[in-house]
Amino acid sequence: MKKVAYLLFAVLIPVVLILTGCNPSPEVPGEEVSSCVICHSDKDMLQQAASAEVEQVSEETSGEG
Amino acid sequence: MEVWEKVFLDDADFLQDTHGKVGCVICHGGDSSLEDKELAHVGINADPSDISCDTCHSDVAHVNALSLHTTLEGFKTALETRGCDFDEYPEMNEVFENHCDSCHTSCGQCHVSRPDETGGGFLSSHEFRETPSTQYNCIACHGSRVGAEYLGENEGIPADVHWTQETMTCTDCHGEELHGSTQDASTRYDNPNAVKCEDCHEDVWTNTEGNPQHEQHLSDLQCQVCHSVSYKNCYGCHVSIDEEGIPCRISEASQMDFEIGYNPIRSSERPYKYVVLRHVPTCSDTFDYYGSNLISNFDTLSTWKYATPHNIQLHTPQNESCEACHGNSDIFLTEEDIRADELEANQGVIVEEIPSP
Repeated sequence: MKKVAYLLFAVLIPVVLILTGCNPSPEVPGEEVSSCVICHSDKDMLQQAASAEVEQVSEETSGEG
Repeated sequence: MEVWEKVFLDDADFLQDTHGKVGCVICHGGDSSLEDKELAHVGINADPSDISCDTCHSDVAHVNALSLHTTLEGFKTALETRGCDFDEYPEMNEVFENHCDSCHTSCGQCHVSRPDETGGGFLSSHEFRETPSTQYNCIACHGSRVGAEYLGENEGIPADVHWTQETMTCTDCHGEELHGSTQDASTRYDNPNAVKCEDCHEDVWTNTEGNPQHEQHLSDLQCQVCHSVSYKNCYGCHVSIDEEGIPCRISEASQMDFEIGYNPIRSSERPYKYVVLRHVPTCSDTFDYYGSNLISNFDTLSTWKYATPHNIQLHTPQNESCEACHGNSDIFLTEEDIRADELEANQGVIVEEIPSP
């Protein structure tokens, strides 16, 4: 009877672990960094790519509004 | 701020917060799989506040959609009251688009970036800030009058005690009202959530003992009548398009002044008879570049308007003694203080008889 019980445990434990998602060596997904972030965190690249900003404030504007 | 700096992620910490984990394209569009800058940016939406924030923050976004920061109803109310007819005179739509419309803000322009009107650019990387920056958001737009008053930047005029003694920021007082008002709010004061002095200084109302000025005046004087000092008044604004095709504005030099007048918006919330009044830059020919007589009923609204100067002091020249105010014609708005062509517009706020000593 003891042998049957040990056998049952030996089979059941791995099955339960698999079904509940337990994994002795989980696979960590590789961190995917967006190309947006790659470019926007590269100071030199941004400086080179930046186009001259068009001045939208009139030089004739004066006084406080 | 340099152009590149406005979109520079100097740290990627924000990627770890809830917004960062969503990814860029979900909110901003574009194609992050492409390396070519131009192609990757096709369809990009730099400020997706209108379509993205609502997805998770619908409670705030729906209320904010009605706020004056979004609708600019305050401008429209004043213009329409003065007779500017947007239907009959299409020029008014051009005026509004060129000179008024850019003065609104969005979720992102308070919580992520500086306002577009002031040039934009991240506050700090792409960090989402629950509390906007006093310096780069609030004062960036409200700087020439309220901001300068609060920080004591007007020569010879002290900063507000809430700043000098407590270093309070704008959002320490102004909270819910910034997101929403009522559905039909037409002015900044038309807001049940508007901050009131008594929200913090309740004791002033509940215990006036030993303070004869409070005993006498709490119900008929706005707090600022006794506790604010000289503030900025603007005059003679004229808008046009310059030779480069850029909208421009020329106004007269502002003047520091302090004027007590009759309350133009007296109500159960603001029952005071006397309030401080600030002169607004609008004049009868402000829009004449676009067409004559666009402000057809200029006299229907005063040019000296209900004001809440942000330079509060415990002791002021006018609350030194009873005589410092009573009988003091210098601090009451009288006919002599009004320009001839604005007399009619200000009849309702001019103090006819200065309180006697």
